[in-house]
Amino acid sequence: MAADVDVGPGPLRAMKRVLAAIVFWVLGRGLVAACRVDSRVRKEVATWPDGTVVTLEIAPGGPSTTVRLENGRLTALGGGRPVPATLLVTFKNVDGAFPVLLGMKSVLQSFVEHRASLSGDVGLGISLVRCLHIVEGYLFPDIMTRRILPAKAQRRVSHVHAYLALLTPTAELTTKGARS
Amino acid sequence: MIPAYYEFANTAKVLSGEGAIENIPFELRNLRCERVLVVTNKDLRRLGYADIVLSALADGKIEVGAVFDDVPVDSSVEVVNEVARVFGEQRCDGLVAVGGGSVLDTAKGVRIVLSAGGEDLMELRGADRLIGRFLTPLVAVPTTAGTGSEVTGVAVIKDTERHVKMAFASFNLVPDVAVLDPRMTAGLPPRLTASTGMDALTHAVEAFSCRQANPLSDGYARAAIDLVRGYLPRAVENGRDTQARLAMANAALLAGVSFSNAMVGIVHAMGHACGGAANVPHGDAMAVLLPHGMKFNLASAGDRYAELLLHLAGSETFAATPKAERAEAAIEAVRALLASLHESVGQPVTLAECGITSEQLPEIARAAAVDGAISMNPRFASADEILEVLKAAL
Repeated sequence: MAADVDVGPGPLRAMKRVLAAIVFWVLGRGLVAACRVDSRVRKEVATWPDGTVVTLEIAPGGPSTTVRLENGRLTALGGGRPVPATLLVTFKNVDGAFPVLLGMKSVLQSFVEHRASLSGDVGLGISLVRCLHIVEGYLFPDIMTRRILPAKAQRRVSHVHAYLALLTPTAELTTKGARS
Repeated sequence: MIPAYYEFANTAKVLSGEGAIENIPFELRNLRCERVLVVTNKDLRRLGYADIVLSALADGKIEVGAVFDDVPVDSSVEVVNEVARVFGEQRCDGLVAVGGGSVLDTAKGVRIVLSAGGEDLMELRGADRLIGRFLTPLVAVPTTAGTGSEVTGVAVIKDTERHVKMAFASFNLVPDVAVLDPRMTAGLPPRLTASTGMDALTHAVEAFSCRQANPLSDGYARAAIDLVRGYLPRAVENGRDTQARLAMANAALLAGVSFSNAMVGIVHAMGHACGGAANVPHGDAMAVLLPHGMKFNLASAGDRYAELLLHLAGSETFAATPKAERAEAAIEAVRALLASLHESVGQPVTLAECGITSEQLPEIARAAAVDGAISMNPRFASADEILEVLKAAL
């Protein structure tokens, strides 16, 4: 006998989505801040074409974060996909994204496991992964990063300094001429 | 080894053996194709390989709308668009690609263009995404035994105007049918047979030891290496050895399935860079760099290489080698195969023999350090570390 199906995503997934939205906000700002404090990120971002818009999102229609490179400036645009992405990383579902967002799994590992798809230039995507590995080095302590990153996290500044950079209103920073 | 999570796909139907080509018309009808476009190049046409397929199509009453034999060495977006135009003009409903990597990549590109319906190819680049809505049926007939392109979901197409190489990676790009017929590789010169065979071996070894390796891709890699060990020297020695040719075609296909799912690592990253800096043929770069890449990865992938000794050197050697020495012995087995090919057909064993100078190494190392393949390598490799590997291979 057919029965009506009325199963929603459940409160746990709803909670994960809320948390994911918060971590995405941190991640977008973190990428911009890392560009300010770490020459390795700055060097990577300097290879991106001007006008690059990077979005990380959770399908379908879940939380997202977007950063844009314009006139050599990397800017965090927040969630909601305010502009179309030229490089789009889509996690297939919130459960696949969650370990990455909590620092339990690297972004690279999520690609290895096909938990995320990439739309856009694959080379640029790999450059983004390198940047995010550096960002993860600042966001998470060694006890977490040594399990997920390909090499020991090398930090140019302390965690505190990095978080301060993330939280300051000067999060919109130039990729040219910033200090190493 | 069982990964916490993995995905695997191999959707191509495989026809393998003498007379496989004569079954293409049946497969095309299964795919609802009646009028096809054949994509190939001038050399294969001149040497009669394309005619083997064309004759089979005629005999099987499949109409050939057109033969496009202008595919260059590097597939470009102009060529892809031109083939797509001819496809539409001739009202074709299927593609048959006869050739090596560039011909097969072109055919994959045509599928993308036809499916995209005028959308800019640049918008369709990416990895692990569904490309297009419905892809035109594609039958792939490889004429080398190395690239494995007949079963991979990857295509690289040059945009000559924008000076970029566009990479497409999607499970749905895999051809519908892969046809391995020993007639198609019978005329491959010994030197090229050796080089392409080492390319297939490299695909299998790297796939077995890279980050995306999984039990299914492992199975394909092991089978590929067994065939290379047993048949590559035979195919090099006597190109008319039908069994050896068929075995090597299978080895390349198996390795192709494996690396299409498990990816490749430092050897390919360095090989791509050598190709970019000094036009080193891909197979030659793979042959030279494989033992050096394995040596670099020993600390991270030693256990995996130890397992491969069984396939690289056979059961007797495997059983006689203490467990702790198997990984090194696996590298030695690769070196021994390379040395025998060097002796028989002059297969290069150093980068210098490939025309690379020490001055070029830093540039090659820098390019390899940002190559996509490096991220899948089992061990992190900086540009400085890669430079040391390259110096050892010079």
